[in-house]
Amino acid sequence: MQTSNVSSGNKMLLRWSLREIWQGQLWPVMAALTLIVACVVALSALAIRVDAVLTSQGRAMIAADLVFNSATATPSLLSDAQNLGLTSSSQTRFQTMAFSDNNMQLVTVKSVESSYPLRGELILMGETEKVSHSVQASELWIDEQLLSLLAVNIGDKLAIGDAELTISGKIIAQPEVTFNPFRTMPSVLIHESDLPKTGAIQVGSRVQYRTFFKGEKSALTQLQQNYQLQASQRWISEDNNGRSADLISKSKQYLSLTIVMVILMASVTLILTCQHYARSRIDTVAMLKSMGASKGWLRRWLLVQVGLMFTAGLLLGSLVGILLELLLRLPLQHILPEQLPGYGYLPFVFATLVALLIGLPALGIPLIRLLDTSAIVVLQAQQPTPSKKGWWLNILPIAAFIFFYGNNSLVWMVLSGLIVLFFVLANSSYALLFLLSRYKWGAAMSLALSRIKRSQKITIMQLAALSGSLLLVTLIWLLRSDLLGDWQQTLPAETANVFALNIAPAQQQAYLQELDKNNITRSPAYAIIRGRLTAINGGKIKDTVAPEKQDINVLHREINFTWAKQLPDYNEVLEGAWTDKGGVSVEQSVAKDLQIGIGDSLDFTVNNQTVVATVNSIRAVNWQSMKPNFYFIFTPDVIAQLPATWLVSFRIDDSQTPLLNELGRNYPTVSLLDFRIIGEKIQQLLAQVVWSLSVLAGLGVVSGILLIFTLLRLSLTQRQREITLYRTLGASRRRISQTLWCEYGVMAVVAGFVAAIGAESIEFSLMKWGLKLTPSVHIEMWFIVPLLALLLVFASLMSAIKQLLQPLQ
Amino acid sequence: MSLSIIKTVSVCKSVSSNEAQLSILNDISFEIFARERVAIIGTSGAGKSTLMGLLAGLDSPSSGEIELLGQPLSQLDDEQRAKIRSESIGFVFQNFLLIPSLTALENVTLPAILRGEGEDIVKAQQLLHSVGLSGRETHLPAQLSGGEQQRVALARAFMTQPKILFADEPTGNLDEKTAQNIIELLFEMNREYGTTLVLITHDSNLAERCDRILTIHAGELQEL
Repeated sequence: MQTSNVSSGNKMLLRWSLREIWQGQLWPVMAALTLIVACVVALSALAIRVDAVLTSQGRAMIAADLVFNSATATPSLLSDAQNLGLTSSSQTRFQTMAFSDNNMQLVTVKSVESSYPLRGELILMGETEKVSHSVQASELWIDEQLLSLLAVNIGDKLAIGDAELTISGKIIAQPEVTFNPFRTMPSVLIHESDLPKTGAIQVGSRVQYRTFFKGEKSALTQLQQNYQLQASQRWISEDNNGRSADLISKSKQYLSLTIVMVILMASVTLILTCQHYARSRIDTVAMLKSMGASKGWLRRWLLVQVGLMFTAGLLLGSLVGILLELLLRLPLQHILPEQLPGYGYLPFVFATLVALLIGLPALGIPLIRLLDTSAIVVLQAQQPTPSKKGWWLNILPIAAFIFFYGNNSLVWMVLSGLIVLFFVLANSSYALLFLLSRYKWGAAMSLALSRIKRSQKITIMQLAALSGSLLLVTLIWLLRSDLLGDWQQTLPAETANVFALNIAPAQQQAYLQELDKNNITRSPAYAIIRGRLTAINGGKIKDTVAPEKQDINVLHREINFTWAKQLPDYNEVLEGAWTDKGGVSVEQSVAKDLQIGIGDSLDFTVNNQTVVATVNSIRAVNWQSMKPNFYFIFTPDVIAQLPATWLVSFRIDDSQTPLLNELGRNYPTVSLLDFRIIGEKIQQLLAQVVWSLSVLAGLGVVSGILLIFTLLRLSLTQRQREITLYRTLGASRRRISQTLWCEYGVMAVVAGFVAAIGAESIEFSLMKWGLKLTPSVHIEMWFIVPLLALLLVFASLMSAIKQLLQPLQ
Repeated sequence: MSLSIIKTVSVCKSVSSNEAQLSILNDISFEIFARERVAIIGTSGAGKSTLMGLLAGLDSPSSGEIELLGQPLSQLDDEQRAKIRSESIGFVFQNFLLIPSLTALENVTLPAILRGEGEDIVKAQQLLHSVGLSGRETHLPAQLSGGEQQRVALARAFMTQPKILFADEPTGNLDEKTAQNIIELLFEMNREYGTTLVLITHDSNLAERCDRILTIHAGELQEL
């Protein structure tokens, strides 16, 4: 009997709880919870996928998951990799002359195994347009430009060092691309088994050994840990490989930042809706207590409701999240690979954790305090007494946050900025409103301002929530725009994609005229004079430079010098100033490594002649930009009289390919480096990243807008009684609408304006110190954000006004 | 000699307001015996509801002692007082206080559920029948008129056959005719279940129908 009683009681509790959710008491809480779960599921699923795609893109660029680069062969590493279950492939790389019957050319020889590349795509096209993807013994594959440079055809013989090999075909696409035209000589691919025949590997010859690894992340980490790096050895991974790595690491940071911001916004709404729910339950709890409900019973009553709501929110949120991720992916369909990596169960675990960590304190604290409601409230409304009960629940999300984001400086920067700004925003908004109220206004506006002033605490809370959410939305958008802007700036669409080197002085004028005649956008022509730096302030390099610095590029080989009347406008002068005579401008990393300063005297050897110049400036050079760049640029008087060849970079599109071929034919001695394929690859990667970030930012903004909408609706609902009373007393729809418009409108505009300024300052610090990019000011946002806030007020007022205007029944 | 159901000795209640003490009830002492019908009358703000809250153990006096069903309330904690209410006390409120998301029938079964007795649907149906609401069992409060809601509240109050029924201005929100019907019903059920009735009202005609009338004026209690 006892058991059946209990079970019938439980059934009723369950029914009751379900109805509480359906009939609107709990739906705002559930909506916020569902939104959190949906956002976290969708964003983290997408993040996992985009991350995997970005990582695989990055790995395709380096041809492996991890690359070991060394000046000496390292057999021990290979056996270690084998023990760790890693796949490996070796490459030996050197520069040598290639001789055809008609010509010769300095080339980069990559001697690879058949397993190369472990990641990314190698496309080789043979005589009958037969495509293959790996290099076999006795094969020789050459860059397309070598066919004209060496005046050879597929099937002809080519001498590489001592070896004579038959050209198997041309290289259409290969991984391991670089953007430095001076380091990218035309390359040829041979098989590792043919390497000894070339006789290129001798004592003292400059050879680069690369070992590629593919396998589990843990094994790769273990491999790196097991090996002690020697001088001139380094690991290359997708995270430290130049431009694509920079792109990827910043995109990843942006991903996690967006997730944090969306969660933050949803949390604010959850907290507010939970407090609203707890407030709306005070009368019921008091009534139940007056009827003799024990605390234990009430606890069970609340737990059943909250439990049901959580379960429903998790299920519904997961479902919406899956659909949302699908929707988010639609625009990416063409650029994402067909076989997308799965996201597994992690997004759901993560979403559940986040929902619990935020939901427990958000709902737990007001509910624990709700249990303390005095039964006397049924007879007399009581002033709520401030309580600190349940505060410890706040530790949960804080501890989790530290655990997950402990190392992400970007997230911490944003958070600490937000906390400070939260106070500043709310109070400055309030101060602005206070100022406004000192002026004379119409009746509706005066009423609105006086109400805002009267309920100071509530107004400040609302302003903080409103301006905080607007700030996050603005920040997500600004950050995306600035990141993309920076990337597109360093690699704009009109970037040069062809470099012409070795232009003889006699050809220079004609060559440039040919380009100009065809309306080709080109850089100025630069003289190229090869030489070495030999002494600093009269002291020989080997005596003055620290031994560990003597291995840097600038010192161990001849490098390219140029002269100019002015420095290129894309090189920023960091120190000093350009002079007319006897001067040299030094690139900043070289200046730093060799401790060269303004006014230092440098000796160079060019063609067995010594030239001396005084350092007049230190320059920043972006080596990733596809522009001619130099370590040393001299004033004309120093080296202009020395024999030189010329270099020019220009941009051609696909329709101008015949012109390129013609240039190749007409000027066979000029080396043409065609970066079109590489450039396209980078542009494609950029396009993918731009899409992903835009979609994510879009989602962030949409969820932020939804949350602000919920906030406004909630706040309007709380005003229901008051407005109903006005209506009952006969206030016209117009008067009520006007007052509400004024009150919420003025709040929205002020919050929007303050949020725009706040977002601008966070964005500024993030760009400058977080992402280390150039910050900019966005005046348009100062108008767009208040306008957006006004639109949201309009939408929420429109959706609520009918209900609000019903008179008392 | 009848059994003393409620006994108050020198009960005072004051609240702090703007750092000053405001006295609401002052030295109140009286007894209410089993099956008595007692009206407490007074003007608005005289302290009637405050006194009812104290008598039902919903609030605690600033000084003095209250015995409810032979138990000194000052020696009981919140949970023990709640237990007494769930076992022996029924309430009817001015604004009905039904749960909006529960049907009429479920609202009536609620006190039994709070006692851990499960849903006694048959009894709840009988009670609804006796207040004239047969056929309205599945209606939600919003689908009922004010008078009908108060009937449901009456049925709910008698669900656990309480020893005491506290009625706080039970007709305060109803029109005259409906109020009359509700009062008839209240007294009839009170008689039928042999309950002690404590009725808070400002209506002297209604008070006249009770066995005793206690008046509160400026925190002082007098028996008429």
